Amino acid sequence: MSDSSESASVSLKIEFSGGLELLFSNQRSHKLKIPAQVPKTYGDAASDSDNKPADITFLIHYLRDNLLKERVELFMENGTVRPGILVLVNDTDWELEGEGDYVLKDGDEVVFISTLHGG
Amino acid sequence: MSCGNPVSEEDSLMLRRTKYDKTRICGKCRTNVGNVVIRHAVYCKECFLPNITTKFKRILEPTINVNGTRKKGFKPTGNLCVGFTGGLGSTVLLDLISDCYYSTPTNEDVLKGGKDHPRNAGVWKKATVCYVEICNALPGTRDRTEEVRDVVEQYKHFDFLPLRIENAFDDMWWEKVGGQRSELSLKVDIGNEELVMIPQPIESRDPVAALLAYISALPTQTAVPSAIQNLVRLLLLRTAWSTDSSHLLLGTCLTSLSVSLISSISQGGGFVVREEAQEEWQPTVSSGSRRAIKVVRPLRDIGMKECAIWAWWRGLKVVGKESFLGGKQGIGALTKNFIVGLERDYPSTVSTIARTCGKLAPKDNSEAICLLCERPAQPGVQDWKARISIRSFADPGLASPPPHATNVVSNKTDDLSGPSLTPYLCYPCHTTLTSRSSRGSTASALVNSTPLPVWVAPQLDGKGIVEEWGSRKMERSDMKQSISEFLLPDEDS
Repeated sequence: MSDSSESASVSLKIEFSGGLELLFSNQRSHKLKIPAQVPKTYGDAASDSDNKPADITFLIHYLRDNLLKERVELFMENGTVRPGILVLVNDTDWELEGEGDYVLKDGDEVVFISTLHGG
Repeated sequence: MSCGNPVSEEDSLMLRRTKYDKTRICGKCRTNVGNVVIRHAVYCKECFLPNITTKFKRILEPTINVNGTRKKGFKPTGNLCVGFTGGLGSTVLLDLISDCYYSTPTNEDVLKGGKDHPRNAGVWKKATVCYVEICNALPGTRDRTEEVRDVVEQYKHFDFLPLRIENAFDDMWWEKVGGQRSELSLKVDIGNEELVMIPQPIESRDPVAALLAYISALPTQTAVPSAIQNLVRLLLLRTAWSTDSSHLLLGTCLTSLSVSLISSISQGGGFVVREEAQEEWQPTVSSGSRRAIKVVRPLRDIGMKECAIWAWWRGLKVVGKESFLGGKQGIGALTKNFIVGLERDYPSTVSTIARTCGKLAPKDNSEAICLLCERPAQPGVQDWKARISIRSFADPGLASPPPHATNVVSNKTDDLSGPSLTPYLCYPCHTTLTSRSSRGSTASALVNSTPLPVWVAPQLDGKGIVEEWGSRKMERSDMKQSISEFLLPDEDS
């Protein structure tokens, strides 16, 4: 039987690139821990019966509320990342991993890259 | 799966469609698990990188040789000039050029003849990377020249040449790049739709002050990024000419190209839609018989997502560039928001925009060249404008001007006190200088004496305009009037 405290949180490495780091204390790399089980609807109180494993949608909301310092509209729109921001999970496009529904695992690396400074 | 109520029946919720076709295995090698989805196609990292290189070379290489073939290698007729903005596309462009045409194998056995042997030299003898700093056109923005220099100097084969946007109003810079000297300096009354030209004696002026006067005289928010873009483009072209370059490469990716095509067409640039993708340019006034510069956008088949993934996997540092799309309601900003949103939800549509525009061609050709942007100008534009719209609140067709128009100025052409610049401009340039927003003008009060970029006046020298200012035969009555106090009275009167 596994120790419940080991699965209580998930450790992640978050990277920001393409100018996004300016919104997150000008820091490119962040290490954080998020709960392994989260409410199905972000913002609801935690309960034993109505939870889901932490996914990228939860992570995006979590970053907005805990790390983002300014200009929410440059990072998030309609419950997901703003158009023009790419997300890589362990060096793989999140579109291959189910986008916001990807369930985060301990040690995952999530990269947010902004493409909005043109070409 | 039923079509019932998703609230009560969990199974009735429609499955979300995947962003990729078929499987997660790479569609190219069919072996590795994919890392990225590009327009519904899946690529692994090992296949993605060469795919980008292939697309880049497919656009660029047919333009290198004069006859378009490469049977006997690449022999460009001049040097290379690369326009660098610090943005994502131009950063990727620099990396691709370096990697494809200037990379030196580290294994000495491979370098037969030594690293200086012509066999191992780059395709172009000299490669200049040109950056135009625009901070003086947008007060409050920072100067990024040194950050850009740090990025460019990582590539040993490139010479860095920084410019400033105020060079467009700098006579010393104009002389340095071999520009033809004009006999008179030129200002224009932007408040008058006919753009009456005001001759001025040539005197030294502060380029930054002249630039700010030009920008602040523009009538709308949309006009500012259009004008800045035009100035940057001409600065790059003139610099490429002065460095004996046969090619000017720009880092416009597919997404940026689609944005600029729609934005340009929205502002009346349909006649030059082909030139937005690729063009050949030479100065209107030039000496010698040098071949035209080819302006190529080798990333025009590569989307912004692909550029971002390339930059991330290659560890490239992107300086970034100022966003100056004319505010949230400017045409540029609205277009970009629309296209970027489209790319996320319907990625194939963005390439459709560029592909469709690439098939368009104007019905009539034109020999006329716009003095401001030096691109083909559609003939008969002013007559067409006059026929299709009410462009002045003094128009007799209006019962009364709208409430916010407090100064209704007559716009009749008989009031011209000098030659008009309007006939020498293309539709989008004329619109940039004269279009009025329905919310009122954003221009500063002093619009009746606006300086113009240094390349405009020399082009007028051969059109009889300067000669008209320089000397004009007086009427006999005027001559008599001017010397009347010295004339002896007639003995008969």
